[in-house]
Amino acid sequence: MATKVKLESPGSIWKLLVSVGDRVSAGDTLFIMEIMKMEVPHTAPVDGTIAAIHIAEGDEGLEEDMLAIEIEP
Amino acid sequence: MTWEKEVEELSQKRALAQAQGGEEGVRRQHAKGLLTIRERIDAILDNDSFQELGATAGDATRDEEGRLVDFKPANFILGFGKIDGRRCIVGGEDFTLGGGSPNAAGLRKSVYTEELACTYKLPLVRLHQGAGGSVAGAGGSASGAAPKTVGNPVNAVPRFKSVAQAMASVPVASAALGAVAGLPAARLVASHFSVMTENAQILIAGPAVVQRALHERTDKEDLGGPAVHAKNGVIDNLVEDEAAAFEAIRRFLSYLPANVWELPPSIASDDPSERRAEELISIVPKNRRQIYDMRRVIGLVLDRGSFFEMGRLYGRGTITGLARLAGRPVGVLANDCRQMAGSMTDAGARKTRRFIELCDTFHLPIVSLLDEPGFMIGPAAEKAGTIRFGTAAVMAAATSVVPWATVIVRTAHGVAEAAHYGPDGFLLAWPSAKVGAIPVEGGVAAAFGRQIAAAEDPDAERERLERAMLARQSIEPRAESFSVHELIDPRDTRPILCDWIERVEPLLTHLLGPTSFSFRP
Repeated sequence: MATKVKLESPGSIWKLLVSVGDRVSAGDTLFIMEIMKMEVPHTAPVDGTIAAIHIAEGDEGLEEDMLAIEIEP
Repeated sequence: MTWEKEVEELSQKRALAQAQGGEEGVRRQHAKGLLTIRERIDAILDNDSFQELGATAGDATRDEEGRLVDFKPANFILGFGKIDGRRCIVGGEDFTLGGGSPNAAGLRKSVYTEELACTYKLPLVRLHQGAGGSVAGAGGSASGAAPKTVGNPVNAVPRFKSVAQAMASVPVASAALGAVAGLPAARLVASHFSVMTENAQILIAGPAVVQRALHERTDKEDLGGPAVHAKNGVIDNLVEDEAAAFEAIRRFLSYLPANVWELPPSIASDDPSERRAEELISIVPKNRRQIYDMRRVIGLVLDRGSFFEMGRLYGRGTITGLARLAGRPVGVLANDCRQMAGSMTDAGARKTRRFIELCDTFHLPIVSLLDEPGFMIGPAAEKAGTIRFGTAAVMAAATSVVPWATVIVRTAHGVAEAAHYGPDGFLLAWPSAKVGAIPVEGGVAAAFGRQIAAAEDPDAERERLERAMLARQSIEPRAESFSVHELIDPRDTRPILCDWIERVEPLLTHLLGPTSFSFRP
């Protein structure tokens, strides 16, 4: 069962810091959104491997709760 | 001759009342993972403190000789009880009897609840799971004969008058613990604090009514589950289960007086007033684009572990809750810069207005930790009518009667900023404070658009202007101009606020009694 990381708020993707296949630990920053001019890091909730990425740097006008990254154990 | 026979019948009725909707009804409730109303009341109150009123009210059936053959108890349970040793009124629908849709005696007990709380000037706890009126009328049936007199007398007191009076005079806390529809849903939100469990739904009308009117197929969960109501402000807090709901209500009441004529309850605090958290000197990043955890600031400044947040899932840029400062209950209003930079959305504005009114009603001083960039902007915010709700929040602050201490933590911009100060408040600022009509970036873009476009290097010109304007938003000259009471070392925030609460505490006595407005849902 992949762990799904969703966008916390509407906004854009300022920096994407991981690629498919990367190993991550809980708490690692996966990507940073720009929300109302603020940098909002989204971190890995669990240890695992990046299985899928549904966002790209520079994406704008994204909706809250959009699926961004899937992490597999 | 004695009255043994009559007393014997009374015992029978009492036993039948305790049985609620009977074995089958109770089994069905338990099968859904839910407690019965009597179990709920026992769980939320201190042990053995429930004193029921109207235990034998209900609908009795007798044979030709007048002997009791059946008894359907009123499906609303009501009485006095104690929470943490303090007396309160508690009531709730019995879902095992007619789905909690009121029977005749149940309705009488139900609408008596608020009057009782007002009469005894005691906090009111309502535990809801039930439906509103039935088309057949209270206690009626589809085939039964219509009663001779229908409707209320023309001079009847409006049913919601006592509900409104209760909200103006005693703390009201409510819980949605299953499906709550119609009248119980309205009474659920007619409260100062409401909580919903993960498997509860709140509905104006259920799927059958919706389909008949709107030709839309829905279910209770889609219509009124937590995914809908935890984010729109209909309830304050979402919790996992009933035990957590009871704990939340007990916690909420611990900060509040029994009524508006009494002072909020102070306790001895074991957290030293002089505690200076070193972390506060570096918690706000120097880079203005970077975020920090305002809840961490709250935890470091207020009494350790005392913060009880209300409304976390809606209007998320705004943080509201109750806490203690040197043992005294206070309201805490703050901003979460992680959420839309901390800006005030329509929901955040409603949350702010209700929160300020709660503090005014029960005489809780307000600690405001300010990092407000302004009302939320953009097409969605305009469509939501943010300016009206936002201005209502600003008005609530402008006419607030309790003492306020505002700490400008970072940004303070726009009309929304005004919702964070009370009249004659104590005003502090951290060195990280930036104050001005609007945030620099948008302000420069709006005011110097032509100048930037005409420049040889527009980006460099924009940056130059932004730097220049940012310097003007600095707090130092404002502090030197006595625009704030003190510019402080962030580490001194707690000691200074603890001194403040001691200074303002005597003033609260002079505020006691009802406010000039009535708290509205």
